[in-house]
Amino acid sequence: MEQTAPAPPQEPEAISFWRTIVNYLFDVRFLGVLGQIGFILFVVLSVRTIGGNFSENVNKLGESQFICRDGSFSYRCAYDFMESEAGFDISDTVVEYTNTDSYWQAFKLGILNTLKVAIFGVILTTIVGTAAGIARLSKNWLISQIALWYVELMRNTPLLVQLFFIYFGVLLALPNINEATQFLGLPIFLSNRGLNLPSPQFTSSAPIWLAFLVLGIVQFQVVGIILNRKEERTGQATNRVGWGLISFLVIVGIGWYVSGTISDSQGLLVTKASRIQDVEDMERMMLARTGLNHLDDLDTLSEEEISAVALQICVLRDSPSETNLTGQLRRLGIPYEISRSRRPDQAIKKYEEGDCEIFAASKAVLAAERPTLEDPGSHLVVSVQEKPVVWSIPTREGFNIFGGAKMLPEFIALLIGLVLFYGGSLAEIVRAGILSVTKGQTEAARALGLNEGQRLQLVVMPQALRVIIPPLVGIFLSLAKDTSLGIAIGFPDMYAIAYTTMNQSGRILQIFIIMMLVYMLISLTFSVLLNWYNERVKLVER
Amino acid sequence: MMTEITKTTTRLQDNIRDYNWQYFLKDNITGSWYQTAWIAILALVAALFAVTQFNEAPTATIAILAAWGVGTIMVVVGTLFQHHTKVSRWLKNNLISSVSNALLSLLMMLVLGMAARGIALWAFINANFNPAETAPEFQSQSYATWGVIWGARKLLMTGRMTPEDSPRVWLALWFILGMWALTYITGRPALRDKLQRVRQGIMGLWILSPVILYVFLAGIANSPVYNIGAALTGVVIAVAIYALFWTQKIIRFSWMNLISAAAAWPAAYTIWWAIGRSGILPPINVDTWGGLMLSLIVASSVVILSMPIGMMLALGRRSEVYGVPAWITWPVAIGVSIWGFTTTPQLLADSRSPIEQLFAFWPIAVLVLAYGFQRAFKGNVVAGASTAFIELIRSVPLITLLFMGIIMAPFFFSAGTSIAKPWPVIVGYTLFSAAYTAEVIRGGLQAIPVGQYEASDSLGLNGFQKMRFIILPQAIRIVIPAIVGQFIGAFKSSSLVSVVGLMDLLGIIRAIVANPQWLGLRKELYVFLFVVYFTGSFVMSSYSRRLEVQLGVGER
Repeated sequence: MEQTAPAPPQEPEAISFWRTIVNYLFDVRFLGVLGQIGFILFVVLSVRTIGGNFSENVNKLGESQFICRDGSFSYRCAYDFMESEAGFDISDTVVEYTNTDSYWQAFKLGILNTLKVAIFGVILTTIVGTAAGIARLSKNWLISQIALWYVELMRNTPLLVQLFFIYFGVLLALPNINEATQFLGLPIFLSNRGLNLPSPQFTSSAPIWLAFLVLGIVQFQVVGIILNRKEERTGQATNRVGWGLISFLVIVGIGWYVSGTISDSQGLLVTKASRIQDVEDMERMMLARTGLNHLDDLDTLSEEEISAVALQICVLRDSPSETNLTGQLRRLGIPYEISRSRRPDQAIKKYEEGDCEIFAASKAVLAAERPTLEDPGSHLVVSVQEKPVVWSIPTREGFNIFGGAKMLPEFIALLIGLVLFYGGSLAEIVRAGILSVTKGQTEAARALGLNEGQRLQLVVMPQALRVIIPPLVGIFLSLAKDTSLGIAIGFPDMYAIAYTTMNQSGRILQIFIIMMLVYMLISLTFSVLLNWYNERVKLVER
Repeated sequence: MMTEITKTTTRLQDNIRDYNWQYFLKDNITGSWYQTAWIAILALVAALFAVTQFNEAPTATIAILAAWGVGTIMVVVGTLFQHHTKVSRWLKNNLISSVSNALLSLLMMLVLGMAARGIALWAFINANFNPAETAPEFQSQSYATWGVIWGARKLLMTGRMTPEDSPRVWLALWFILGMWALTYITGRPALRDKLQRVRQGIMGLWILSPVILYVFLAGIANSPVYNIGAALTGVVIAVAIYALFWTQKIIRFSWMNLISAAAAWPAAYTIWWAIGRSGILPPINVDTWGGLMLSLIVASSVVILSMPIGMMLALGRRSEVYGVPAWITWPVAIGVSIWGFTTTPQLLADSRSPIEQLFAFWPIAVLVLAYGFQRAFKGNVVAGASTAFIELIRSVPLITLLFMGIIMAPFFFSAGTSIAKPWPVIVGYTLFSAAYTAEVIRGGLQAIPVGQYEASDSLGLNGFQKMRFIILPQAIRIVIPAIVGQFIGAFKSSSLVSVVGLMDLLGIIRAIVANPQWLGLRKELYVFLFVVYFTGSFVMSSYSRRLEVQLGVGER
């Protein structure tokens, strides 16, 4: 065999050069970089096209979109229009609002309304969902079947249809307000204009009492800690909750008495001639006026006679002074008639014209209004005793219901719809969470001698919560976002108000930007809070 | 005979004598004070409810009470005899296990019975089914006027489409039904293997079906110009994608496939153009779409469109390609912010409020952004943009996107372009849905164990191969049930388009109740709507559960 020279190497440089190029070109990393550059180009180009069209269209609308207060044009003034008068009314207001307020104020109200629905919704959904989830696991076949069908019905029909059904089919089909349904004789009225409930009103001395309340809670904790130490030392069980509660109630009771006596901010404006120095004087006056010996005998008079002698009182609408005074008058059995005004100057005018004998308001208001009277010297301000918290109770007066807290049907419909819908989703999560705790845990807890309550509280729930919390975050976030469906039934949430503002002012882009920012802020806050809670209950891995 | 009875009686007497009544009482009633109170309250409420219902519907109440009594007696007798029949055992386990449960069952039976009676009276027994008698003078609070459903059937199904267009709707309906029938028949086990080819053809037709349905329902405009540029661009893109897949070794090269990939687009375009030219299926005014048809169109186009977008977003969010390195990001960011700070004094001088003063320091935001971009995404533009898009969309309600579609869409097109309402709504909804689909798919991708990724890396597969052959087949199997869930969600949420003025099922119902012929028949129509949505969603979710079993999710 002939020895041949080894074959010359096949010019590796040339081939490997092209190979390298090709390899490089089709390498995933290179393609990734290429893809990113392409992506950036794509974004830039589409933004240019869309942005170009957009600015062209906006310019066609004129520079009115960016007009400043001084009438000049600048992009910095994009939000200046928000300070002008809103001009539309809002049916459901958390804080004072009139249609002469600015767009900012209206927008703020919208945010508050959204938060109101979201917070009530989250609380009620937790209750309804947990109840339904536990009912799904009930041993009673009927109850678990009812819960199952509730969950299925809620999960398989759209929320919006449910909302419409509740609003148009149920709430608006309720009786008119003059025939409002009353529950079991309690001062709770339900009609197609909404629900009227008794509500607490804070007078000016409430902060003092609230401070005592906080003190009481601290005291509760302190008593708990002290008794716990004692338990550990002596080994004898004590009634921690009971003692804590007693000390809490004592402190709160003292606070109630103290804040009631030291504060002196409620007053009545009366004429000197009436010789009223005190609320008790009114009783005397009433007796003189009716010629009776005792106010209990008022029943003997006819309705016309009573209304003829009734005290005429002027108050400001929704002020705690009214509730504070009428509560005391009712206790004394003095008949009265209330005339409500929106502003102090209207009330004082009525008082001056003799429409009412007494003007009840806070002393600050009275002191400011008294000098406007023709002869301030002949009138004086009398102190009225006050309680830190007074209950405003709805009462039927003619064709309307006054006092108390009022919930409009739109709010109720939105709340019920959201709570029922998300309660259905939550029920499934709660059920899955409880089922995820293995039977052995229950049995072990029983073997340790824990009772049913302790077993649920100490063994089952802490473990179930770990499974429940993460999907819960998602549900609550969806609930907060779905409050925007209120626009379909006329609830003035942030979205509805933004929409009205948009239609009135024509500033679409500006409104959309702040709206999105607020929604993102709400979502972010919710998820941060719930994730923080999730971290707390999460299983600490070994 | 006599002896039988005597024997039984003696046994019963023995059992009653032997039964430990004290335990029974302690277990059920006198265990603790709140148990006693609970039983008392329950008994009181049940009795009160029974009495009030008796005044309203004596027969039904007596029937329910009798049924409950018989059941209780059966359980008691069974317990005393220590021998349960099948029925009494079921009753004991499920309804009458304790005194409290027995009372609760009674209460529930009464409530349910009365509700069922009320519904039956309203919806069936007293109801008026005559389509001719729907005007307000025939209506009543105490019975349903179902005639409206039949009377308004055209509006409910297709909205305000003109009568000339209805054959095309029928055509579309028959097409879909035919496809289902074909799929079902060829999918039978007996035919499955024989008709392999046919099944592939049907699959292709399914993939094309959105386009076919579009042609039926929306039609094609007659355009005189054959746009050769568009046809050729399609060829170039198809060939480029083919080349990419081939070089990444996820498809095998064959001339046949290359040619068909290249020819598909021009062929489809030509057919499209020809149909438009011939005028067989002229365009329909899309704004007349409505009713159930529109709901289904919105839901299905949203799901179909959001699948690929969502998949791209999910892959983008998880992509690990080399990003913009820090030595480019930082100099650029610092340069921009230095230039930015030169504008600050002027802005500060011009500012009119504290917020504007704050905005004068905008260059700080650039630095923060650069830091976040480098820190969270390692300079990866695609991942950053995908994440930002997903999170932004997920944090706002659907309804804002729908309105954005309606109100802002005209701003994004050059002046004078008019677009039919459904399109921007579908686009807005698709963007929304895509963000959620992306998260579902990302969940699927994350559910694949890391070992799978490592194993494919160690086999020397490249990124495309890894995704195509290892990861996606497993991930898709995991997410299919969730995707069906998304479809149900899209079907339900499609009712939101009525808020922005489209005439879907809900929207058309609001129009129907305003019609003098059917004025105010809200309850009937809403109940109909509940039934439609419930049936649709329920069928789909049952299908999803079956699919889950078939795919063996959670098993290996």
